[in-house]
Amino acid sequence: MSRPRDFRLTDGTVIDHLPVGSAARALELLGLPREGPITVGINVPSPSHGRKDIVRVEGLFLEKYELDRLALLGPDISVSIVRGGEVKEKTVLDVPARLMGILDCPNPTCITNEEQVPSVFERLGDYPYRFRCVYCERITRGEDL
Amino acid sequence: MSEHDDATEAFRGRSVVSAADFGKAEILALLDAARAFDRYDDGPVWTPQPPSLQGRVLGTLFFEPSTRTRLSFESAMLRLGGSVLGFADARISSLSKGESLVDTIRVVEGYCDAIVLRHPREGAARLAAEVAHVPVINGGDGSNQHPTQTFLDLYTIREAAGRLDGLRVGFMGDLRYGRTVHSLTEALMHFDVDLKFIGPESLRLPRDLREHLAAHGRSGVEVEHLQDAGELDVLYMTRIQRERFPDPMDYERVRSAYRVDRAALEPFGEDLKILHPLPRVNEVAPDVDDLPGALYFRQTRNGVIVRMALLHLIFGGGAGA
Repeated sequence: MSRPRDFRLTDGTVIDHLPVGSAARALELLGLPREGPITVGINVPSPSHGRKDIVRVEGLFLEKYELDRLALLGPDISVSIVRGGEVKEKTVLDVPARLMGILDCPNPTCITNEEQVPSVFERLGDYPYRFRCVYCERITRGEDL
Repeated sequence: MSEHDDATEAFRGRSVVSAADFGKAEILALLDAARAFDRYDDGPVWTPQPPSLQGRVLGTLFFEPSTRTRLSFESAMLRLGGSVLGFADARISSLSKGESLVDTIRVVEGYCDAIVLRHPREGAARLAAEVAHVPVINGGDGSNQHPTQTFLDLYTIREAAGRLDGLRVGFMGDLRYGRTVHSLTEALMHFDVDLKFIGPESLRLPRDLREHLAAHGRSGVEVEHLQDAGELDVLYMTRIQRERFPDPMDYERVRSAYRVDRAALEPFGEDLKILHPLPRVNEVAPDVDDLPGALYFRQTRNGVIVRMALLHLIFGGGAGA
């Protein structure tokens, strides 16, 4: 079956190999729709991952902090930059050992939610990711951040 | 330098935010230093002569009420010949005018050589330690850490039982929210200790801590009732707080189930050591106070000694008092 023409990007970003069920969370994390058109595939067959979610956004190019946020959703998420209808760059996202200032601590009584200081989280091990706030020491699952 | 000397030296100029920041050798070095200050067994706290911290100033910033922690730090500093300044009520500090903690720390560090901080927000001490150019000692940050309580608990157990390795230690009461339980449990993982947790299902240890224990093969025993705990050398009691129970009847039921008196402790023998971070409400009956193993008032006395040792080491004193 050929791919419908509407799914092709001219200039934009493909977020691929999202864990099944995480596409909506990815859109939420990135504040979408702010660019578009957007096509979303949920529970799509994948030769390498069995099933996956995929998001294609015309006109969207992500900043580093946005890539760091996306990476929390699962292992092996890839981001491809398309220009002129061709993939120019493809990156498999990596979760940094320390996340600085990109997310708020979910603990409402953490000092970082009162003082003007960036949050800092340390990653504990591999996927499924868990993070410890270096200030309040609470441990949070990646998807809850 | 020996490993013990290295561990002692590791305290010099260092902030004390979390007991988990300290390794076994460092904890033992602190307990040994405290032993050197403990000259009068069960008597008054010894005041070293000449005083080693003369001319030093300790700032005590208590943004939350505290009796034992603040007074014992002040007593420790005064006994070492140092001075103390600070406040015991956030309403009289400039916080009430909207000043940030970071700014308060930057101001106060100009007035003193070390700071003891108690603050209602978790992580306050870590942040203060990052900002300050003088050592910051955590006197309790919200529900997170209270490292000097852990050190004095360890000291009390070791002095009373003669060792830490080989003990069977039971924690009873509020295992979920009691920060002293979490912190002491983690510290005891440095030692060959059998851990037992006695409490209602609704106040079990937090999942993170259970997983942490399991990952190190130290899950211990979890039971709902003291009589199912088996043999114990140490029983660490905690207060069950009313605000943890939306239903007052649940609170009353749990509170009465986790109260110990002399009769309940009899099966464990007279060698059982009974600790409690205080204040108690009614979880330890007054008839327990006269048992030789009732150590909770001893803990408060030891709090001064351990804090003397800690201040002594932070300000660069050697292992000997």
